Amino acid sequence: MKDGYSGPILEIDKLSISFFTRLREIPAVMDFSVAVQPGEAVGLVGESGCGKSTVALGVMQDLGKNGRIVGGSIKFKGRDLSTLSAEELRDIRGSEIAMIYQEPMASLNPAMKIGKQLMEVPIIHRRASEKEAFERALQVVTDVKLPDPKRILNSYPHQLSGGQQQRIVIAMALMAEPSLLILDEPTTALDVTVEAAVVELVKELGKKYGTSMLFISHNLGLVLETCDRLCVMYSGEAVERGSITDVFDEMQHPYTQALFRSIPLPGADKNSRPLVAIPGNFPLPHERPPGCNFGPRCDYFEQGRCDKGNIAMFDVPGNDRHATRCLKFQEIDWNAPISVGKQTEKAKPGQVVLKMDNLKKYYEVAANALFGKSGETKVVKANETLSFEARESETLAIVGESGCGKSTFAKVLMGLETATDGQILLDNKNIEGTPIEARDTKTIADVQMVFQNPFDTLNPSMTVGRQIMRALEIFGIGDSEAERRERMLKLLDLVKLPRAFADRMPRQLSGGQKQRVGIARAFAGDARIVVADEPVSALDVSVQAAVTDLLMEIQREHKTTLLFISHDLSIVRYLSDRVMVMYLGHVVELGTTEQVFAPPYHPYTEALLSAVPIADTKVVKQHIVLEGDIPSAMNPPPGCPFQTRCRWKSKVPGGLCEKEVPPQRTMADGHQIKCHLSEAEFANMEPVIKVAAE
Amino acid sequence: MDPLSWGEIILRVLAQFTPVWISLVLLFVVSMLFKRRLGLYGKLFDSVIGMIGFALVMFWVFTGIYGAFDLIVTHDPLSQISAMKNKPPGTPVPGAAEEGLYPYYLFGGDNLARDVFSRMIKGSWVVVQIAPLATLFAFMVGITLGLPAGYFGGRLDTFLSFLANLILAFPVILLFYLLVTPEIVATGIPNYMATFLFIFPIVFAAVLLNSRYHTRPRLRTPLLIGVLGVLGWLYLSLISEVGSKVHVIPGFADLFDVPSGILVVFVSVVFVNSPTVFRIVRGLAMDIKTRDYVAAAQTRGEGTWYIMLWEILPNARGPLIVDFCLRIGYTTILLGTLGFFGLGLPPESPDWGTTINDGRRLLQIYLHPAIVPALSLLSLVLGLNLLADGLREESLKD
Repeated sequence: MKDGYSGPILEIDKLSISFFTRLREIPAVMDFSVAVQPGEAVGLVGESGCGKSTVALGVMQDLGKNGRIVGGSIKFKGRDLSTLSAEELRDIRGSEIAMIYQEPMASLNPAMKIGKQLMEVPIIHRRASEKEAFERALQVVTDVKLPDPKRILNSYPHQLSGGQQQRIVIAMALMAEPSLLILDEPTTALDVTVEAAVVELVKELGKKYGTSMLFISHNLGLVLETCDRLCVMYSGEAVERGSITDVFDEMQHPYTQALFRSIPLPGADKNSRPLVAIPGNFPLPHERPPGCNFGPRCDYFEQGRCDKGNIAMFDVPGNDRHATRCLKFQEIDWNAPISVGKQTEKAKPGQVVLKMDNLKKYYEVAANALFGKSGETKVVKANETLSFEARESETLAIVGESGCGKSTFAKVLMGLETATDGQILLDNKNIEGTPIEARDTKTIADVQMVFQNPFDTLNPSMTVGRQIMRALEIFGIGDSEAERRERMLKLLDLVKLPRAFADRMPRQLSGGQKQRVGIARAFAGDARIVVADEPVSALDVSVQAAVTDLLMEIQREHKTTLLFISHDLSIVRYLSDRVMVMYLGHVVELGTTEQVFAPPYHPYTEALLSAVPIADTKVVKQHIVLEGDIPSAMNPPPGCPFQTRCRWKSKVPGGLCEKEVPPQRTMADGHQIKCHLSEAEFANMEPVIKVAAE
Repeated sequence: MDPLSWGEIILRVLAQFTPVWISLVLLFVVSMLFKRRLGLYGKLFDSVIGMIGFALVMFWVFTGIYGAFDLIVTHDPLSQISAMKNKPPGTPVPGAAEEGLYPYYLFGGDNLARDVFSRMIKGSWVVVQIAPLATLFAFMVGITLGLPAGYFGGRLDTFLSFLANLILAFPVILLFYLLVTPEIVATGIPNYMATFLFIFPIVFAAVLLNSRYHTRPRLRTPLLIGVLGVLGWLYLSLISEVGSKVHVIPGFADLFDVPSGILVVFVSVVFVNSPTVFRIVRGLAMDIKTRDYVAAAQTRGEGTWYIMLWEILPNARGPLIVDFCLRIGYTTILLGTLGFFGLGLPPESPDWGTTINDGRRLLQIYLHPAIVPALSLLSLVLGLNLLADGLREESLKD
């Protein structure tokens, strides 16, 4: 503490923030209260558009031209921030309150060396001498566990990896030893294993410096791991507030409950215990319902009561500062078992549809871009000896972080690139060397793709119906416009969108709805193999469940083979039959879901499993944090691709990991692991995730 | 009769523009009423800057159109009344009553005793006609070459970009002079260049329609035959001229004859502007080709031209519309420059560049013959720039 103040660090009381557009006032945050005590980490959870980032900007008093605080107060160490002058605010920002944003590259000045950027903070805020500032910068960079701090201080932001950049942003925030740190989705842009390391770091530094934290995230699991208390937001309001254990184990608001039911926790299963998606859509800020904002989507909605007047926060008796914005919280039986959704039979996988055999894809990259091929070239091995089979109505998950070669694999399969070596057999026909222009319509229509980014997947200047009809045209389906239109409307029915959407422009649709259109488009030619490239990772949690279920349902009906590319192991465990784990172009593990999620693991799978945050207090995880970043595919390590970060490396005698690429070993029925570890070591592995007995 | 005072001149000029005022008010009232339903055009009416720019531009567009129908002009732009030579603004025309002429030269007479006011009005028609059309041609060329350069990249991109740089580095004025030199005209180079440059809109239309409708041959074939037939005829009429080097179709089938001077203007405008358009389109294409909807089109086996023209181009329209407005402004100035050098348009043409050049010689004694077209040019280009600014600003907001 820099001064003698000993109350809550941040006290937000009945805060309301609105944005003023030329049409109307849009309330972004309403009647929002939260307090952050010294040394406490408070999580702010909610879906996109719920106002959580607006709260952070309100605290920084940085709402832009259109935003204004229309009610309530924000007190920082007892001083009302809205009464401070611009100069006083400038003093506080950066030295007392620091903020860490989502995109690390956008937070650093690309034209300035790291050291200089860090040293600016004490020089500006404390008028420290250059030497003092340098010492401090060096110390903070050491604190955020970056290797070779002196070299890092002397480099430019683009010379560092994403994870390192985010560490520098954290270091910069800590330079002035702020009392409050606001983290706005600090790890969303990072890979899971890197995210785990950054989260670990934030937690550790919070303890070391005694900093209070406001942690904004959409990921409940992450909040469970980092925060002491949490505040759940929905449509501009705080709906539930309390300590982590209270909210996770004794939730008192229907939205919180629905949220937990829609995320794939261990135990959920697509057939026996499907996810329960929240019905309906997130209300637009200017179309909020009267009374409870969650009312129209709530299972416990009571007409005449829940849709009247403003609803205040009620304290939950017996718990520590636990409050909920629900009129009926004392009437609802919170322990009632989940009414299980419709259960389905596990589909029997049919015959092999797709077979990859020793697929290789190498790229040649010219070392010198300007003078073309005359210089030396480097070979990037994007895919190395990929072999697997996929059967009819089977879901094969392909798991891996950025640079693991999963996108390259998808490109080769789709025919956008041709393979360097090996074969791809579609119905026993070789297609690895046939680029998409040379493929016949049937093959193209059979293999289709669902893309990751819902905001990018549809052409913004064409109506939804027209885009689906175009796919039908290309696949030669239907003889006339009328026929195709009819078929397009049927496809909209299939993805459960109203037929009126056919004439809408993509910008009038929400993310989940766009993703549904993307799915409809992929199934236009009755695709038999659908490559889904992280189809739900950009969607909100409540929408994720609905889209996932839709995919599963269509798959069941059409006996589609689904290749589900993802880095999110919770969703993979929920929906896939078999899992393939990739790292730097190699398949490191391949097996059924049960085999991959239970020991023996490949060391990378083990770390990945440990890194994924799980929003369940009953889950005990083994704590494995990987050192360093994923090596560049341009410059892979010799021997085993994972050896630079592997914690089991010392168990293999003779430095074999650094010399030789391990062989693909078959552990049990169809379970393959690419590792040098001995049988005995594999047998000794402990499960990473254990669900404590209830 | 006495000369008019300045106040009277202004009142009479304003009265003379009555049809323009009525049209402007109507246009603005209707647009304001429906602005929420008019997309980007409607949003323009939320920005004061954009509205001022739009008003200035539309003022000259209406003036040009009505001027073409002899509505606003007070005298024939070419007829000379010898007593009016270099007379100051507001000078009465002797014997006007007997001959049924307008009684005053509102903005005075030029050194050939022609009415400056009427010449300004007639000149606006030349500008309003040629500038947008020439810019449109430049865009067609720039887009047709920029899209593949940005989309495919590689050698093609390197080659086309180098070509664009080469043209940009060429001294423009020298190029203009070369184009109108009789020896060069005699070799037919301007005609051949026109033949080459004007084929781009046809290629553009053909590729655009074919890529979209090739899956429906029953619609595509008649559509293409119709469109290409009309465009082809227009094209041939445009480039072919009896007696010139390019004489492809017989005189009776030639729909219209574009004076070779105008053709030179077109060629030079397209030549100068298309490399810049090429660069903008190339950059936009490089950005947009990484989007998922482009990947989606690729994975369903769309042809490359469909992807470029129907997936990429429509989504690049925002910056292109803004640039189009700015570029009409440049073209207007370019026309002025060409006229000023006495290139392209015939010497008696009332266009602003030529009239400024005519007025220049006696500028120190008689200011008005040059200042009137100069101010007109200024206001139109200012209007176009403000309009572009307004559009850019409004397209960023939502």
